[in-house]
Amino acid sequence: MSSVPESVISVSRLSKTYHSGFRMKRIRALDDISLEVEKGEIFGFLGPNGAGKTTLIKVLMGLTEPTTGTALVFGRSPRDAAAKARLGFLPESPYFYDHLTAREFLALAARLSAVPKPETAGRVTGLLRLLHMENSADIQMRGFSRGMLQRMGIAQALVADPELVVLDEPMGGLDPIGRKEFRDIIAGLRDRGKTVFFSTHILSDVEMICDRVGIVSAGRMAEVGRLSEILTGDVESVEVTVKGVTGKTQKILERVSQHSIRSGDELLLTVKSEEEVDRIMAIAREVGGIRVVGIVPRRLTLEDYFMARVARDGRARD
Amino acid sequence: MIDRVSGVALNTFRESVRDKVLVTLIVFAVLVMGSSRVIQPLALGEEAKIIKDLGLSAITLFCVLISILVGGRIVYREVEKRTIYIMLSKPVRRWEFILGKYLGLMAVLVVSMVIMTAAFYLILLVLGVGAPLYLLLAVLMTLFELAILTAVAVLFSSFSTPITGAVFTFAVYFVGQMSRDLKLLAAMSPSPVVKAVSYFCYYVLPNLANFNVRPEVVYGVPLDPSALLLSGLYAIVYTATVLLISAVIFNRREF
Repeated sequence: MSSVPESVISVSRLSKTYHSGFRMKRIRALDDISLEVEKGEIFGFLGPNGAGKTTLIKVLMGLTEPTTGTALVFGRSPRDAAAKARLGFLPESPYFYDHLTAREFLALAARLSAVPKPETAGRVTGLLRLLHMENSADIQMRGFSRGMLQRMGIAQALVADPELVVLDEPMGGLDPIGRKEFRDIIAGLRDRGKTVFFSTHILSDVEMICDRVGIVSAGRMAEVGRLSEILTGDVESVEVTVKGVTGKTQKILERVSQHSIRSGDELLLTVKSEEEVDRIMAIAREVGGIRVVGIVPRRLTLEDYFMARVARDGRARD
Repeated sequence: MIDRVSGVALNTFRESVRDKVLVTLIVFAVLVMGSSRVIQPLALGEEAKIIKDLGLSAITLFCVLISILVGGRIVYREVEKRTIYIMLSKPVRRWEFILGKYLGLMAVLVVSMVIMTAAFYLILLVLGVGAPLYLLLAVLMTLFELAILTAVAVLFSSFSTPITGAVFTFAVYFVGQMSRDLKLLAAMSPSPVVKAVSYFCYYVLPNLANFNVRPEVVYGVPLDPSALLLSGLYAIVYTATVLLISAVIFNRREF
């Protein structure tokens, strides 16, 4: 066995152009996207609505063809049945067959994925239990809520115990408890050495469970990397809350800080570094009657990064 | 491969069987067959033949309706409801999907036919007009005709909307019934355009008139076995060709 990481998903310089409407207007959904997802990774594919996330996933599922560039799954064309035999897919806002019961549907998914027949019933029951759907197992899916459909979607994706799980907006339609359960399921997949590729526009999901992220904005790859590399963890700013400040001292303190907000008796000061916190403390000691009641260091969050990045790309295109 | 095709087929079958459209059509077909009792007084001694003809025609008509109405949306519905994403993300090849859809619908038609034919024979027995098994030959030939028509419905469904698909499939059925007249028209027409179009339709569209042996079986006219066998072979070859074209079109589609 070599120690070279195995590439599960490999996308190289991929572009996708659609022709839409009566005048066949060209729409560039993806523009020169490249990324690699390695075995055992949880990869978060992040971007605002309409950035091209679903288009890339459709290419990876062999539902649509790239205009230029290549996409490989397990080193094969996404259209290849041998590649599909090793993956499970949850589409965005999934919709299934109204006429089937939850159990029948999962049995169908198992049959199409070549799950051995003697194992099917056990797997289906296990998944229904995992997703708390036992009580709805034998009713037709036509009455299912959005959250229940989402659970059925993940169940059918996992039925063949695939090596790669691709999830398009998996947290959509779920309540906070459901989201927590989904995060646990994804973490469980990682513990079992599975690879997970999921798209989302919800940053907290990504921050909690992803090893690496790709940020897509307006069809282009803005950034790919480890979260720890993108968000350096350096302190961006420090928020200091002080009490008992008079008009004259406030002026002095404001000169030291970047930004200040007065709220009743309290003054919230934002300073650039920890050294500047020391200066504020020194002033407070000198003047007297002033108490420092809070010091909160602020690190760059994915949200800050994301907003700045998307806003910049938006400006660049205007 | 067999597991995947039969999986898609079973799902299609279940979907149709649990659909109200199918039940409604079968109930109507039986009602129409039963209504022959009403027209009996008008039949002037020919009632046995009229009842048989009406019953066999009802089986054909309603099965054709099932084929066109259910077949016309069979693939489209999966695309519209995006269940196709689930199907095609499984290790199911696109041609397996088309074949499964087709076989599922054919299973629906066979079951519908069995129910209608059983009802037909029951009516014949109740009315006491005699129920010879020879009549089954007409049902069998209708089944071959439906095999072709359903393949055409799946073909249109693989790239067009249900309404367009149904209209085109019906047009093919209608023209296919007149294929002998088309050949005659082509031979006799002085206009080269009419000649070309008629010949084109004659050779490309299915020749469905050969599958109608209802007058012969109702009047007890003996049929030529080799002609029937040839019609059966024609149906198999034509169906296979249309399904192949459907698979090629579907294979190129993007979702």
